[in-house]
Amino acid sequence: MHKVLTILLFLLIPILSFAQENSVNPLSLRSHSTMLGIGSNNQLDTYLSPLEYTGTEVRFIQENIKPTRLLSGRVSMQNIIQANFSYTKSPTKDSKYLSGLLDWSLALHYKWQITPALRIMAGPQLGMHGGGIYNTRNGNNPAQLRLALDINASGLAVYQFQLFKRSIEARYQLDFLLAGMVFSPEYGQSYYEIFSLDQGKHNVCFNSPFSAVTANQMLTLDIPLGTAKLRLGVENVIRQTHVNELKTHDWTWLFLVGYVKQFSLIKPQHER
Amino acid sequence: MKDKARPTHYFLHGIRRALEGLLLCAFTVTLSNCVTEDTFDNNNKGNFEALWRIIDEHYCFLDDKNKTYGLDWDAIHAQYSNRITESMKPEQLFEVCGDMLRELQDGHVNLTASFNTARYWDWFERYPVNFSDSIQRKYLGTDYLYTQGIKYKILPCNIGYVYCPSFEYSFGSGNLSAIFSHLAVCTGLILDIRNNSGGQLTSAQALAECFINEKTTGGYICHKTGKGHSSFSSPEAITLTPAEGIRWQKPVIVLTNRNCYSAANTFVMYMKACTNATILGARTGGGCGMPFNSELPNGWLVRFSAVPMYDINMQLTESGIDPDIHVDITTSDWQNSTDTMIEEAIKRLTATGQ
Repeated sequence: MHKVLTILLFLLIPILSFAQENSVNPLSLRSHSTMLGIGSNNQLDTYLSPLEYTGTEVRFIQENIKPTRLLSGRVSMQNIIQANFSYTKSPTKDSKYLSGLLDWSLALHYKWQITPALRIMAGPQLGMHGGGIYNTRNGNNPAQLRLALDINASGLAVYQFQLFKRSIEARYQLDFLLAGMVFSPEYGQSYYEIFSLDQGKHNVCFNSPFSAVTANQMLTLDIPLGTAKLRLGVENVIRQTHVNELKTHDWTWLFLVGYVKQFSLIKPQHER
Repeated sequence: MKDKARPTHYFLHGIRRALEGLLLCAFTVTLSNCVTEDTFDNNNKGNFEALWRIIDEHYCFLDDKNKTYGLDWDAIHAQYSNRITESMKPEQLFEVCGDMLRELQDGHVNLTASFNTARYWDWFERYPVNFSDSIQRKYLGTDYLYTQGIKYKILPCNIGYVYCPSFEYSFGSGNLSAIFSHLAVCTGLILDIRNNSGGQLTSAQALAECFINEKTTGGYICHKTGKGHSSFSSPEAITLTPAEGIRWQKPVIVLTNRNCYSAANTFVMYMKACTNATILGARTGGGCGMPFNSELPNGWLVRFSAVPMYDINMQLTESGIDPDIHVDITTSDWQNSTDTMIEEAIKRLTATGQ
């Protein structure tokens, strides 16, 4: 009897969670998601090599979305932390790049409920990035420090639809750099001059779409699975700079898999 | 309520329109603004052109060598590109590329393939060796102390002898203090850097800073700011700061030969600025441009001088630094297993000590 009840409970979980979702205003939901991505990476850094390196990237993404009280509660805050590691090779496989980067971004999104199933969100985003890229063959120019501060425009389109009696949420997000600051050595400047002799000048540069486009696109599908949701998606990261006559690009395509947990904070009755 | 709602509605409508325009603009800019580098095909002509362009855009002594011995990099292209054909084997292409690089007369310039390394070694191969480790063993013996690649001992005449064959090791203040503490009883010091072909500039600087008591300008450094042959930043002073540990206050003689190159050449440049130091021996090999690396489409590694350094008189030391006292190992001393330079240094330090 116990076993039958347990099986019934498992079968009912998706239905119960769906019913629970519908009873709560989706705009007031908090959402925590964790994703792991793997995919291809194309890197160029003319300080290290004029050639493009290609290989594999692994990325860990943690996203938190929570509602705010701004503009009658129509603004939500999105906090994303990403950590990635990539291993790429030169066209002839003689040389390798090892790179690691930590990204943090914070966005405020205003929501427009276009139709009951479709909502659009847009707003400003602040991003910070830090890490480095190491060339396994070079002598005095073996690595590049990556530091950047971005001000982005961020937009999302969220569409809910039914498939196999399940409410599936499709989401597309685009973050586009409007202006930012990046660290870069000068064209032929050594890190010995910058750090050992403390002669760093012109190393903090202005970055904008007019010098190099930087954007992040993510398309995900959230499929209810028990009390959580399974998230499948793809991410395209384009990070580029063209400053101090040096060019860099990181073009990444990733397949994402992860889970999403949504919940709503309910205040105790005596505090309402 | 309606009056209140209208401005908000128009405000939000405006934001929406602005976002639409921004997105359209973003897509347009994205499509037209991908950052890429023009590259050459991986064939004989492409690899030759890639090599010529790397040197043309990154090498730091093209203007200087044009003034010194008439190097014309455009003429070099015309001269060597005629020798490139697609039927050449990799070894033949490598030979032509190596010949072209030798026109730069720079020991920091190399082309490395899996089967060979093209090099310019005339800067020491055409000069007297002026050093023998067999003869040196007569002075150093086997009971020397050894730390971070440095061998040191007290010679019978109470002169300290330090042999630093490389700056590849990182010297901590503890290492250097231990050396000078051990040699503190000596009346003078011989610092032998013969056959030291370089290493880390920070190590050369750390050792030089043991011989100064106040902040001293050791030279100047600048770097390329663009692809032009004369696109350089303003030279900045390299300031030597007195070492925190034990500093040598007595006379020091630095022994040099033609094989003192790169960071060792820079060390001699720094020691020229030290008041109690004398450079004795032969002219150094030079190599005052810090080398960077790049690569060709076929994977061959290129090394070239990228960051020039100047002495305190704003002169390049690319072709070497003359000693204060010129001494070569004489033929008779070679035959008698005597190191003329060490003997001359002992003689001078003993005279100074007395």
